Amino acid sequence: MESARDRPSVGRTPHPARRAPTNAALWAVAFLLLALALLAGRYPEPGFLDPRILASDELARTLLLTVRLPRVLAAALLGAVLAASGNAFQMVFSNPLVEPGFLGVSQGAAFGAALAMVLGLRHDLAVSGSAFVFALAGLGASAALARRFRFGGWVLRLVLAGIAVSAFFSSALAWVKYAADPLRELPDIAYWTLGGLSGIGWKRLAAVAPVALASLGVLRAAGWRLSILSLEDAASFSLGARPGRERALILTAAVAGVAALTAVSGIVSWAGLIVPHAARLLVGADGRRSMPASIALGAAFLTVCDAVSRTLLPGELPLGVTTAFLGTAAFTALLLGRAVTVVR
Amino acid sequence: MLEYRDVHLRYPEGDRDAVSGFSLSVPEGSVLALLGPNGSGKSTLLLAALGWMRPRSGEVLLAGRPASSWPPGERARKAAYLSQIERISFTYEAREFVLMGRAPHLAPLAEPDARDEERARAALDALGIGDFAGRPVTALSGGELQLVRLARCLVQEAPLVLLDEPTAALDPANALRVAQALAALAREGRTVVFSTHDAALAAYAADSVVLIREGRLLATGSAGETLVPGLLSKTFSVPFGISGAPSPFLQAGAGPTGDRRSPPPTGSSIPGAPGDRGSGPSPR
Repeated sequence: MESARDRPSVGRTPHPARRAPTNAALWAVAFLLLALALLAGRYPEPGFLDPRILASDELARTLLLTVRLPRVLAAALLGAVLAASGNAFQMVFSNPLVEPGFLGVSQGAAFGAALAMVLGLRHDLAVSGSAFVFALAGLGASAALARRFRFGGWVLRLVLAGIAVSAFFSSALAWVKYAADPLRELPDIAYWTLGGLSGIGWKRLAAVAPVALASLGVLRAAGWRLSILSLEDAASFSLGARPGRERALILTAAVAGVAALTAVSGIVSWAGLIVPHAARLLVGADGRRSMPASIALGAAFLTVCDAVSRTLLPGELPLGVTTAFLGTAAFTALLLGRAVTVVR
Repeated sequence: MLEYRDVHLRYPEGDRDAVSGFSLSVPEGSVLALLGPNGSGKSTLLLAALGWMRPRSGEVLLAGRPASSWPPGERARKAAYLSQIERISFTYEAREFVLMGRAPHLAPLAEPDARDEERARAALDALGIGDFAGRPVTALSGGELQLVRLARCLVQEAPLVLLDEPTAALDPANALRVAQALAALAREGRTVVFSTHDAALAAYAADSVVLIREGRLLATGSAGETLVPGLLSKTFSVPFGISGAPSPFLQAGAGPTGDRRSPPPTGSSIPGAPGDRGSGPSPR
């Protein structure tokens, strides 16, 4: 992959088409993994289900269509939204080290969802809505604080503000947990903060998919605009952008998608940080390519993580634990390598 | 093309005006140097011309209308701007970076097409850096990056180009390349306004010079009229003399702009020779 980027361009005709196959290849890999994930599981025994038994085994068919298919699709959608939002966050803040989870968005959403659960609003849309409102509040608070901090450069201030806001919402979440019914609500909240897709079916998927898909649509369409917005304020302004307003719109779309899915999946960290980096390494930084590549890779990454989570052990491993494990490993590898450069 | 009318500018966090009572009219097709020490208000004047800063009082007219009142896309087709330094966080290839200059010509969510790509390539070629097309901008040297950024201004195809200290961080060879590119812009008939504290660059590239000190216009006129020890000493608060120090702008003087301006006299880094066209801006 590195070599493809380092290759000197040939004469004066380096061209966009050169990259097109790479994105197509990413999508092909994503679909292949999706198909494999459908077959992966612990029925009839741990490992991959032999597609030939589908004709004879009705239980296998039912399992595939009503349990695994919605779950695999939810995992793919979650991965796509997290990665696309992560990429949007990184470009909007001109900072390759941010993701929704770093800026109070995930913790805000967690608090909002838990609050809704404790208040007895248990419908997915109510939980999503509350998660969305507090996610946006978390983002707004992080950005506002970073602007006012009198310490360090923009990147550092943003990370510090994110830490403060996330910690604030974590403590608020702890209060909610303290007040929660230990038998009915607390287990839900605990499961939710670790992240996971167990128990998701067509109905819950259908409830959150429209918002998630709309968010993905906006982020994909804004791919090239994000390249412009990733420049310094005065530069993007000089190119005819309204940096403040456009960034706010794109972030709102990203947060809406993340909050909708987070309401059913709980907090799934790291995917939003790590996947866009991998995408940029593979296809380049230009939003026209990094955005679709992030979407494909994010879908592939979460599909694999979810398959591992539900297949590896007899009991289910929380999804957030798997993504954090694989994500931190990849993050460390990226920082040890020369793939990420933050110039300050 | 650009007109300042008794402009007062102040930064939100500032307790005094960065620019006060500044009036100037920049005629179409001219190349104007804003010459002054650090902190004299040069950059502020450029940001006001871009519409990024609104004057506290007075008016900055871009193509006959207050600069900050233009719709963003239209304004970006009238004026291109190059800041002094630009932090770039992502490894865009040079051609992708230059292509961003096409944004003002496209609808908000539209993507550039093959013709835009062609223009970006032509701009890189025009500056003699076609070979950089596929290189990541984060891997370019300061001089190379400055040329790539200039190429982004070129593809913006705006009649007015505002450049903040375009050669400040460059070595002589790169400074000369940028200065030549600047002169080429002028030959195409664009209006160029650049800030600098380098009198030799002003002499080399500008039709007219505005001397600025502490946010106020000190003097204006042709290079010959303004770049003289007395005025420069007053502008920069240090005594100026004429030395025999060599400068890249001397040897190359006759090159790109030979037909427009007389080269500075040999043996002087600060020419005071008459012969420059006196088509200076009209102070008001």
